[in-house]
Amino acid sequence: MQASQPQGGIVPGGSADAGPIDAVSGFAAYLREAGFAVGVAEQRLMVEALLAVGVGRPALVRPAWRAIVSGDRERWRRYPELFDAYWFPQRARGTVRTSGATRPRRDLRDLVRDLQAAPPATSPDPRGAAAGGPPGALGEAPADTATEGERRTAQGGASRAEPLERRDFTQWTDGDLQRLEQVARGVERRLRRRLMRRRERHAAGVRLDVRRTLRTSLRFGGLPLSPHWQRRRTRPPRVFLLVDVSRSMETHAPLYLRAARAFCEAIDARAFVFHTRIAEITALLRRRSGRVQERINAVTFGFGGGTRIATSLHAFAEGEARDALEPGALVMVLSDGYDTDPPHRLAESLAAIRARGARVAWLHPNRRASFGEALSRARDAGLVDAFAPAHDLASLERLPALLSFGGSR
Amino acid sequence: MADKASRPDEVRAALARVGYIADDGLAAALWLADALQRPLLVEGDAGVGKTSMASAWAQLHGRRLIRLQCYEGLDLEHAAYEWNYSRQLLEIRLRETGGQSMAAADLFDRSFLLERPLLAAIASPEPCVLLIDEIDRADEAFEAFLLEVLSEYQLSIPELGTVRAASVPTVLLTSNGTRDLSDALRRRCLYHFLDYPDAARETAIVRAAVPQADARLAAEAVAFVQRLRREDLEKVPGVAETLDWVRALHRMDLRGLPQDGAQLLPTLACLLKTRADRFQFGAEEIARLGGTPVGVAMPLKAGGPA
Repeated sequence: MQASQPQGGIVPGGSADAGPIDAVSGFAAYLREAGFAVGVAEQRLMVEALLAVGVGRPALVRPAWRAIVSGDRERWRRYPELFDAYWFPQRARGTVRTSGATRPRRDLRDLVRDLQAAPPATSPDPRGAAAGGPPGALGEAPADTATEGERRTAQGGASRAEPLERRDFTQWTDGDLQRLEQVARGVERRLRRRLMRRRERHAAGVRLDVRRTLRTSLRFGGLPLSPHWQRRRTRPPRVFLLVDVSRSMETHAPLYLRAARAFCEAIDARAFVFHTRIAEITALLRRRSGRVQERINAVTFGFGGGTRIATSLHAFAEGEARDALEPGALVMVLSDGYDTDPPHRLAESLAAIRARGARVAWLHPNRRASFGEALSRARDAGLVDAFAPAHDLASLERLPALLSFGGSR
Repeated sequence: MADKASRPDEVRAALARVGYIADDGLAAALWLADALQRPLLVEGDAGVGKTSMASAWAQLHGRRLIRLQCYEGLDLEHAAYEWNYSRQLLEIRLRETGGQSMAAADLFDRSFLLERPLLAAIASPEPCVLLIDEIDRADEAFEAFLLEVLSEYQLSIPELGTVRAASVPTVLLTSNGTRDLSDALRRRCLYHFLDYPDAARETAIVRAAVPQADARLAAEAVAFVQRLRREDLEKVPGVAETLDWVRALHRMDLRGLPQDGAQLLPTLACLLKTRADRFQFGAEEIARLGGTPVGVAMPLKAGGPA
């Protein structure tokens, strides 16, 4: 490529005497700082594109370079701001520098995602981070590179993590969802994967894939020189969360709904809410929109009469999840167990769930378990596989360890 | 019409001539893919016009469109090439009965090779457009295999050697983002994220695709869909859905959106494709979304805004 091209048009930061190649590498370095993967090959392409478009036409160069350097949606979205900030600093200053990560007309969904991506180490309250934003936010590497474990060690000892754990769930933000997702994955690891009837190709399989082996053997005149292997397919067990949203659970429902959301996100669980009747909210929870909470509030609005746990569980087992309950499935009931149905009904409903081979874990919000009569009876009858306290995040994080039915049934 | 557009803005105009309304960014990306001979990876939600972009591009240049639809378990035999074993066996038998000698080279001749999309695109004597559709559905192993094809435009066939492209095809990859693609693949491609079009562009798309529909119907329907997209939907309707819907409305002899939401209800099957979304939208919701048509007089139906 020719180094001595006419310059003009776009000039980095006012230094007009830099050649186009220098200018491009300066911008490339700036992009790299911002977390873009711009190597030598990309720089070459940028110069080629620049020469092909014509140096004096930033309006055409901008989208062309965007195609070269972006690579994924997140960077594609951030690119225009960076381009303007680098090439037209006088125009961009004041808007980009100060507002950093949040522009007022940004999509709410993105805001929610950013909240989730914000590491607790830098911002104990992600709301605060979203509102202010450090001045260096432009050069920040993507936050999702650090794993959960690293973050926790990075926080160091007894700083901010502790109060966060004990904090009332109503004050929580979506940044904590990741820890709940860890819990969900931990629970899933406790369950045995379900063996499927069908098989899949797998290099380390133990069973010969006869059809494929024969097909390949044609290449060698019928000699099965390169055997193919297969193994049984497995899939993760199904997990259901039934969240009690009656009046007595009012203070805990936000926590449980967040937990339900984390389970849905992380391990594809299905979530239901119940008070006097039961309703599935999986689809609501899966949506990464800022209006999720609003919608759940709408669903749960007017809840708060009595709790008919037994009726709800019965409807769950016979209606909503009739086809999905299978051996190895886990049904987690998040409730205090105060039931307005006759006490013996709860045992019947639980027995119906267990009759399908599913296991029942009961998460109750009281530190000292004080069960209602119905729940005590069910427990005495051995219908609940595990009881676990779940009054805050710390107790939830102990949940995987408490589920110890590694597949004996 | 093989007029080659030499600048991004010309690309855009040329695409409009074949009925594809692109925005500046997409036109620039397509132009760049052509100018730099790089594959272009286009991501975006279902129904925003990724696949039709490829056919428009092919039509624009008068090139052949070769499409490879990816799916889980897609392997070399279905994507690149396969030896025609039965013909090879027949050939052996023929030679045996004819008493001819058999050189191994004869059996692995190009005439025994079944071309699948990738090889067809590489071996094509005139340049073509190769569309690798929904690459995120294919396995990672296949993705890795693609790297050679995408960066060198060549394909190694052990029995034959390396087949190099006689003419470099324009390669367009699409992805719905169901799986994260590898960095290696992303680095070999130009990238464009295709978003839902804004109202003006979508109206232009509708006018281009359904020219027989009334202009007012098109504008109002697009405005409605644009508002609908802002709702909290499980499956956001894409451009394809808008087109279907406008076609349906046109077939109902409507010249504008009716004020009565109930009248629209049956046609919503074109837009809302999940049970939960349908459940959300009753006549009232539709009337709310329908709102007051902006700056359009209502000659057909009298009555105030709903």
